[in-house]
Amino acid sequence: MALASPLFIAVGADPLAGYWALLREAFATTRGFGFSLVRAAPLTLIALGTIVSWRAGFGYLGFEGCFVLGATAAAWLGLHASAGLATGPLSLVVFLPFALLLSFAVGGAWASLVGVVRARFGGNEVLISLMTNYVAIFLVQYLVSGPMRAPGGLPESARLPRETWLPFIIPGTRAHAGVLIALVACGLVWTLLRKTAVGYEMIVAGLNPAAARYGGIEVGRRLILAAFLGGGLGAIAGLVELLGVQHRLVEGMSGGVGFTGVVVALLARLNPVAVLPTAIVFGGMTVGADAMQRSVGVPSSIAFVLQGLIVLFVLAGELLRRYQIVFFPLRSRARRKAIV
Amino acid sequence: MNGGMIDSAFFVTWLTGAVRLSGPVLLASVGEIFGERSGVLNVGIEGSILLGALASYLACYETRLVWAGFAAAILVGLFIGLFLALLYVTARASQVVVGIVFNVFAVGLASFLYQASLGAAASPEIVPMLEPLRLPWLSSLPLVGRIFFNHPPVLYLTFALVAVAHVVLFRSRFGLSIRAVGENPKAADAAGVPVERMRYVGVMLSCMTGALAGAYIVLAQVGMFRDTIVSGQGFIALSIVIFGRWSPWKAAAAALAFGAADALQLSLQLFNSGIPPQLLLSLPYVVTILAISGLFGSKARQPAALMIPYVRN
Amino acid sequence: MAKLVEMRGIVKRFPGVRANDGVDFDLAAGEIHALLGENGAGKSTLMQILYGFHQPEEGEILIDGAPVVIVSPRAAIAHGVGMIHQEFMLVRPFTVAENVILGLPGERGGWLDLVRAAKAIRALSARHGLAVDPAARIEHLPIGVQQRVEILKLLYRRARVLILDEPTAVLTPQETVGLFAVLRSLAAEGKAIVIVTHKLREVMDVSDRVTVMRAGRVEASMATTATQETELARLMVGRDVALRAKKAVREPGPVVLRIIDVRARDDAGYEKLRGVSLDLRAGEIVGVAGVDGNGQSQLAEATMNLRPVESGRIELRGVDVTRATPAEHRAMGLAYLPADRRGVGSIVEMTVADNALLGSQRRFTWGRRIFRDESAICAHAARVVSRFSVRTPSLDFAAGKLSGGNLQKLTLGRELARDPAALVVEQPTRGLDVGAIETVWAELLAERAAGKAILLISAELDEIFNLADRIAVMFEGRILSVLPAGKATAETIGMLMAGRAARRTEECETLG
Repeated sequence: MALASPLFIAVGADPLAGYWALLREAFATTRGFGFSLVRAAPLTLIALGTIVSWRAGFGYLGFEGCFVLGATAAAWLGLHASAGLATGPLSLVVFLPFALLLSFAVGGAWASLVGVVRARFGGNEVLISLMTNYVAIFLVQYLVSGPMRAPGGLPESARLPRETWLPFIIPGTRAHAGVLIALVACGLVWTLLRKTAVGYEMIVAGLNPAAARYGGIEVGRRLILAAFLGGGLGAIAGLVELLGVQHRLVEGMSGGVGFTGVVVALLARLNPVAVLPTAIVFGGMTVGADAMQRSVGVPSSIAFVLQGLIVLFVLAGELLRRYQIVFFPLRSRARRKAIV
Repeated sequence: MNGGMIDSAFFVTWLTGAVRLSGPVLLASVGEIFGERSGVLNVGIEGSILLGALASYLACYETRLVWAGFAAAILVGLFIGLFLALLYVTARASQVVVGIVFNVFAVGLASFLYQASLGAAASPEIVPMLEPLRLPWLSSLPLVGRIFFNHPPVLYLTFALVAVAHVVLFRSRFGLSIRAVGENPKAADAAGVPVERMRYVGVMLSCMTGALAGAYIVLAQVGMFRDTIVSGQGFIALSIVIFGRWSPWKAAAAALAFGAADALQLSLQLFNSGIPPQLLLSLPYVVTILAISGLFGSKARQPAALMIPYVRN
Repeated sequence: MAKLVEMRGIVKRFPGVRANDGVDFDLAAGEIHALLGENGAGKSTLMQILYGFHQPEEGEILIDGAPVVIVSPRAAIAHGVGMIHQEFMLVRPFTVAENVILGLPGERGGWLDLVRAAKAIRALSARHGLAVDPAARIEHLPIGVQQRVEILKLLYRRARVLILDEPTAVLTPQETVGLFAVLRSLAAEGKAIVIVTHKLREVMDVSDRVTVMRAGRVEASMATTATQETELARLMVGRDVALRAKKAVREPGPVVLRIIDVRARDDAGYEKLRGVSLDLRAGEIVGVAGVDGNGQSQLAEATMNLRPVESGRIELRGVDVTRATPAEHRAMGLAYLPADRRGVGSIVEMTVADNALLGSQRRFTWGRRIFRDESAICAHAARVVSRFSVRTPSLDFAAGKLSGGNLQKLTLGRELARDPAALVVEQPTRGLDVGAIETVWAELLAERAAGKAILLISAELDEIFNLADRIAVMFEGRILSVLPAGKATAETIGMLMAGRAARRTEECETLG
């Protein structure tokens, strides 16, 4: 934060007042805190997806794609569910589980494709997953301009029926139940990694594939599982944003969360427990930025700068302490061969 | 599809668009080729393009001189390159992580600096741009003239750069050394090649051409700066490098292929065909994915030490 | 004749070991000098000092009678000293010419002159019988030809001293003959050549002088004609055995593990196991002796199917386990302790408890094998730690912070806790202090007494002599001979390790 202060001064603003306004708006007011939570929900889910995949040694970066595909799946279900139901009106209690399952499956399958390419053929999952983002985004663009387009000419789908909307959980704010979904997901990921044998195997495969093979772990299978779970979580992020905020499928819904979620995961040192608080802080900064702008006159985008600087310096701090163990899973080619 | 529509006018429009759109990504990919050949994957090239675009816009805005914009971009690229190389090469950080974080940071920084310099509510002003340069005799050739020789000078310079890059990469000592560093840094080190220095140079070239590509977009294509002006062209440049097998002329062909797909979807929209444009847009990505998936055993062509930090032990 | 190179009183220490302990070495122009010794003898270190990779702590180096300080490989080349490592320093997609001129200042400014380089290369090739096509790519060339490129690199840089580190490790017998011819031609031209080796055949066939090193010291140095293989073997291996473990005589039981005519390749694709057969009985320790690099690691890995077996079979208690997964191996009672205890045998970032869990992670679970049973895991880890006296502050201590000895005890304990019928152990006491060595030996002997079959692969003859009931010697991917421990002397084992079967010095038993 200290380093961004010169930027404040350069614009003729008072940094302390600015920070104060940001913090107050994002965390001290109910409304603002609600917004922070809204921002945090998809960030958390993407971060969890990053944790699950990266810690298993799978450097997946296709979360933007999983996000939009998950949102699409949920939108499709939402738009067609009421038509298909013969027995009375749609209810959230019935709809939501199916939507979650479908989104998760779609996102998981999407990411698993890349997982298979990596496990069976040794392809570079970093670059491949970056490019699958575009394919997914184009696919959704097509759907939203064509088959799923609402009458009216704008590239977006019809509004989803009210029954599919996630309810607000804090009165007076826009904080919706997606936050609870994110919270539950945190618990599930933590349980997976710390409390299950499969989670143990995934972590070992990520830390040391040769030792994992030696220990009887089928590294290729764990990799594909990690891909599936990571993609599924990314897709749920899309579902949450769709059903909690947008209520219709629109182009550009993600707002880059597929990448900022990864950054949140890194800030949380790939630890599922730390993710939600980190996401709230991170999201809160964006929320508070507007307040900062109003009070001090600094452009609201300084929030991004702050976020970026914080991340960069946290990372730099890690790198300087070389003997710290950091879970960056990119393996050399020699080890890559050991996985198949 | 109405057969009468597909005539020479269609082709000309399409191919001209293809060449026009391929310029910036090709420019960025030239430097990235050197970077990857030295063993460093610069995911942060996306951010470099964005910041170069901003720098060129601001410089041109202040000075009303187009070439000042390009100069500013080069300087910005140089500094970004130094910074990223420090993290990639000396600190031996994870190249992907640094790149992704840098991109996120660059988006914020660009947005901030733009608003800070020009005020948030200012309506974007168009800066002086490069006019298409009609090469004297060449541009009056029947079809080819319009397609290839009626573009801003930066496009010609980009292709000239491709030629220079090819020669340097494959015929000079520097090129040999840099390729060795990316294939087998241990052998290069044993032969006396300064591995870290080569990688620094590679990364800096990548960021500099990236920044220039940003200037290209602003000063020769769009005329102003927006947050979304880059939106993925850096990643496309990365794809082009792979698709072009880390070789400048092949990368040029790959860039034209991407440009063609992009232009095709625009042209087809004009002609109201039934093919979803997004299908065409996604095609280059699908092909690149197949190319680097290892399905066809082509992984062997990649610089063997790509993304592996070098430690002398 | 003035010596081209003289090294006097070289001392070099690494943590825990004196790699070179006052070594004198000299080299004359036009001679081929063999530097003979087993692993850890200090021969590689000595040459690395000459080549500038390391700096000696004491001693001096003279070239042409003048003292020099060689700070780096580049400086070494400047003094005319060149080295060819076991792992070739070649850029595979490049051509021969490109590899040769890499790193050299060019003739035409910054531009490559491959035509002129090719011409020079052809001239050098012709002069020394090093047939090589300058335009060929390294990745398409057989190993023997790649080695020629390495030699050409040195000749191109006008090296006068050529050091070759285990040059025939990757060559076929025919290629070896070709190499020796080249070396003789180079020596005739006045170059000085050092061959670092553990193979007696090389020494006797091609060298003019031989220096034998052991445990960091020079044992002897003489003209090759003035000695015989038996003497060299004895010098190389020595007679002292430092520690004595108490070992009761036992009658071995039924055959537990059978390795039948196994062939396998290493990571680079070379045949490393050329038909190995061995039987292992309950209650006996079979020691596999041999210098590193003759296929021992590959044998251990192949036994556990961590390396594909191309032909042959592995049978455990009569069941064919050649293609079984590592998990299945463990379940059936075959355990393996790899040589790389930090890289493969354990996960240094995880806790002691989690390391003790490796291999058994599906066992200590509840809920249909899904959830970890933390109390069972802790109990298991505690059992391992106490039974094997692993000194650790807690079960949650990071395994990577344990001392080498304690980590080894942990991994050994983990494998033994599964009560395997057969155990394959590779270099179990490498890098351990005396106390840890004794503990590990005691454990292995205890398992032997309990009726387990143990395959002990070790480059330390001490260990083999102390523990093994029978001794098999591996050389170039085969087992040359299996001797009962009582009949094995340092001399016979030394000969076998160096490639010669005992009592067959006249009719060279060509093992190729």
